[in-house]
Amino acid sequence: MSSLNSLSKYLGAPIAKQQLININLKRFLSSVSEECKRQSDLFAAEKQRQRENVGRIEKIDVHTEGPPEASLIMNKNVSTPYDCAKHLGDKFVDRAAVALLNNETLWHMHKPLPDSCKLEFLHYQIPNPAVVNKTFWRTCSFLLGAVVSNAFKDDVNLQLHSFPSPNVKSGSFVYDVQLGLENWKPTTSELKVLSIEMIKFCQQAHPIECLDVDKDFAFEIFKCNPHKTEQIPDIAAHNDNKVTLFKAGHHVDISRGPMVTNTDHLGRITVCNVLKLDTDISGGPIYRFQGVALPKSIVLNHFAYGIIEDRGKVLNSGRIPGKHGDVNEDNTFVSQMAV
Amino acid sequence: MNQADVSKLVSQLKFRVNPRLRKFRNSGGPEERLNWLRKTVTALIKHERIELNYPRADEARMYAERLISDAIRYGDCHKTTMDVADYWIVEKQLIHKLFKVLVPRYEHYNVAYTRLIKVPRVYPGDTLPKAVLELKGNPYPSLLPDTSTNRGIIHNVLLDEAKKAYRQQKYAEIAAKIDAAEEKFSDLKISGKDEKNVSSL
Repeated sequence: MSSLNSLSKYLGAPIAKQQLININLKRFLSSVSEECKRQSDLFAAEKQRQRENVGRIEKIDVHTEGPPEASLIMNKNVSTPYDCAKHLGDKFVDRAAVALLNNETLWHMHKPLPDSCKLEFLHYQIPNPAVVNKTFWRTCSFLLGAVVSNAFKDDVNLQLHSFPSPNVKSGSFVYDVQLGLENWKPTTSELKVLSIEMIKFCQQAHPIECLDVDKDFAFEIFKCNPHKTEQIPDIAAHNDNKVTLFKAGHHVDISRGPMVTNTDHLGRITVCNVLKLDTDISGGPIYRFQGVALPKSIVLNHFAYGIIEDRGKVLNSGRIPGKHGDVNEDNTFVSQMAV
Repeated sequence: MNQADVSKLVSQLKFRVNPRLRKFRNSGGPEERLNWLRKTVTALIKHERIELNYPRADEARMYAERLISDAIRYGDCHKTTMDVADYWIVEKQLIHKLFKVLVPRYEHYNVAYTRLIKVPRVYPGDTLPKAVLELKGNPYPSLLPDTSTNRGIIHNVLLDEAKKAYRQQKYAEIAAKIDAAEEKFSDLKISGKDEKNVSSL
């Protein structure tokens, strides 16, 4: 090591290295905004607090179904389905997208288990994968929001609005975003850049974390986003005054959940189109970002994928935000988000 | 040039054949190598699915395919083919299976008759790469995930919906064409009537 150091003295490497570090640091800092960092830190602190609140650890029995059947003794409010999968083997950890509790409740893989239960791990190729597809599509929407919120320059005013209930049959996943750009029509290369950003983000393999928080904390996290602040009371009213938050990388967002385990579950990803929506929301025009993606475990030839991509360019039929002034029970944000 | 077309003398196999044969080190030399492979080919025809080391599976696959394709090509009344079958199949009752079961099964195949799949090796265990060699159309459950017949898998859902949307668009186009044609026709009729009126006047 010492010989290397003495050599580098002559080569003048330290200066170059310093420059490289500077450049890297700059890139890193520019890719995550202050606001994003604040939200992520708050989320981490709250998660830590909830973990410490568990107190004395109790044991629960977890029976996993399907091959291999196993009976595990886990920790109440600490162990997650992901931890259970780790006892079964790598294959099950990588493959499982979402867990099914007692044959009825879908459960996020990184959410602590509250009680003894039967557990089943669902993946993308089970005989009837409709719920898994929906979970996957919801995750794609969430991650699209994460990418879009960091993709634009600082002088563009950007506020994430929401995404409608995931519907695979509509042909694309969607995120509605308020952008400070008038009549922006993305070029092909801009869409390509967005796709690449999303692929790069997903390849970093962030685990998707989940947290139930109360209303006040949610207000604190989203205090800079007027749209989310507006949605929070409505969401909390339908969910025992709790708001479910999800986090991937530094991005935090509201969603009913569940989501898939990790961002690296996404294989092929394309951001297909960005369309301006006709709404009455104040503060600027709302754009609908649309994309398509496939799980990593599904390999599709480029021709068939091209057909899917082409269909993703058409305006998604999902509910357009803010269009209906009257909010009734069937039309609330939460009921639209229902599984 | 009355030479026969060389490519038609030997039946063409439907997968990539190794240009050089593997030697398989053994004390008995080339003959022993063939004896080994005879056992493997016989086991394949008997059990229809076998798990073994990859090099041996790859080597045995060529002989098994050649045997089946010759059996399909010449039938059971051809002496040379019968001799070859007699050589490659150690358990003689399986010769009946080759001609009565496998030939009818593969008669109309235009793809390979066997499938070679690399499989993970057992850990801890020996480090040789493993493979499964199987005859297609066997009665066992499939080793590969079924991604085409399950229409619920996400890419199938997306493709089905894309197909539906495309059809709808085409139907709309056809309907528009018909409407346009009808309009044209009715216009003609009206103008024809006018002419008639004029002539009657």
